Amino acid sequence: MPASKHERLRDAAIPWLLPTVILLGWQAAVSVGLVSNRFMPAPLDVARAGWEAGRTGELWTNLGVSTLRALAGFVVGGGIGFALGLANGLSRLSERLTDTSVQMVRNVPHLSLIPLVILWFGIGEEAKLFLVALGVFFPIYANTLHGIRSVDPGLVEMGRVYGMSRTELFTRVVLPGALPSIFVGLRYALGIMWLTLIVAETISASSGLGYMAMQAREFMLVNVVVLAILIYAALGKLADALTRQFERTCLAWNPAYRSA
Amino acid sequence: MLLDAVRREALPDDAVPRADARPAGSPPPAERAGRGIAVTVRDLHKSFDGHTVIEGLNLFLPAGGFTAVVGRSGCGKSTLLRLILGLETPTGGRIDLDGTAGSPRRSEPPKRIMFQEPRLLPWARVVDNVAVGLSGHGTRAERRERARAALGEVGLAEKAGQWPATLSGGQRQRVALARALVSRPGLLALDEPLGALDALTRIDMQDLIERIWQAQGFTALLVTHDVAEAVALADRILVVEAGRIALDLRVEVPRPRRRGDPDLARLEGRILDHLLGGSETPV
Repeated sequence: MPASKHERLRDAAIPWLLPTVILLGWQAAVSVGLVSNRFMPAPLDVARAGWEAGRTGELWTNLGVSTLRALAGFVVGGGIGFALGLANGLSRLSERLTDTSVQMVRNVPHLSLIPLVILWFGIGEEAKLFLVALGVFFPIYANTLHGIRSVDPGLVEMGRVYGMSRTELFTRVVLPGALPSIFVGLRYALGIMWLTLIVAETISASSGLGYMAMQAREFMLVNVVVLAILIYAALGKLADALTRQFERTCLAWNPAYRSA
Repeated sequence: MLLDAVRREALPDDAVPRADARPAGSPPPAERAGRGIAVTVRDLHKSFDGHTVIEGLNLFLPAGGFTAVVGRSGCGKSTLLRLILGLETPTGGRIDLDGTAGSPRRSEPPKRIMFQEPRLLPWARVVDNVAVGLSGHGTRAERRERARAALGEVGLAEKAGQWPATLSGGQRQRVALARALVSRPGLLALDEPLGALDALTRIDMQDLIERIWQAQGFTALLVTHDVAEAVALADRILVVEAGRIALDLRVEVPRPRRRGDPDLARLEGRILDHLLGGSETPV
């Protein structure tokens, strides 16, 4: 059916329409001289900077370093948040013991700890890992806890009446029921992960994307600075797309997540 | 087609006469299967936070009978059912199943409940939802096999691979029925299971429940506020008022019962009068 194929193409193109228009307008504005090249390089300049950095390998090294840091921090912070969320969702005692403290710490902006973290860890890897882990911890913790809380008690009662063991009850009723909420936490956490890492790298690092941008600023290489910013946007989009795909596979039962 | 499924299911297991071939007016199928669990309730009390819900209730449910409990909301009928199922602990008195004190052993036929809502796991396929009724028995493949057979009994064999979200309300409740029956329970408690269904679907479900009950011979305990439903299905009706049994009636109308049967209508009227007026009609 040519009509439906055409429609599908159009559906895929629509989200990219606005970025393309902005890019073209930007290029035109710089070319015409509306915007000074010194403050805002043209997209073609940025592309050239990207090509250069890619050719020397500088871009890939920094990208790899940043990704590794982001993932390490995410695994540590997310893992602890998930575990504590589960524990507090399942055990009253655990919740009463820890939730108040967690809520207090949560209200401290984690980036405000940067001076302290530099004092503790210097500008080594631990500092970045600590900050990312701390930032990622809260959304995962809060949403895991909320997800477990909001599992339909009727289903839990059903599971119990039908003779499910505690493990079965957890894996077949509680965890799948909490999953949609956990995914919300996951997506929040991914955003915070990049944000934290870039800020940390911009302030104190000797490698990574944030460091690359800071170096470029020192030498007034505006196009490299803009390149770094665009890479953040692309990475954010990539992480979000992966989570969406993951969501769609895991939550296929839920009409709200089923792909059209 | 539904009936065929029931017959096939019924014959090999316990050489029961065909469900519809039973002579009209025969007593409840207590003696046939011998699989039903008898329930004895003695001087049962239950209160929540000092508020008494069940007050000195005595009751005997013979194995394989179909008993309906009706009453106004808040009369304690659902609590009675939950107590018998072991979902609540009594404040006083005792409940014996099959004469054995306390809860039955694992080897005995299980007791099952069907709730007002289907309570299906939305993230499990229909067949796996039914297999929940077999928790901890056999391998996964065996459970699925039996679950498929149970789905056939309720006429939903072709929906086995679907998500519950794609089914209609009536179909979901039939899946819940299959889940309750797949383990071949000795006692099936029905807690207003048809309350949320439309009138026609409800009649279909009533017929289905009656046929399966006749074929399998479990003890059925139906809690409902629909007196017509109680009268159509049960061979005994208990009217509960203020935590006690106020009225205990036998329904002597032969099966299969015709909707609109004058005897049933008279009985229904009598129960409704009792519930509404409170004016005691001699039993």
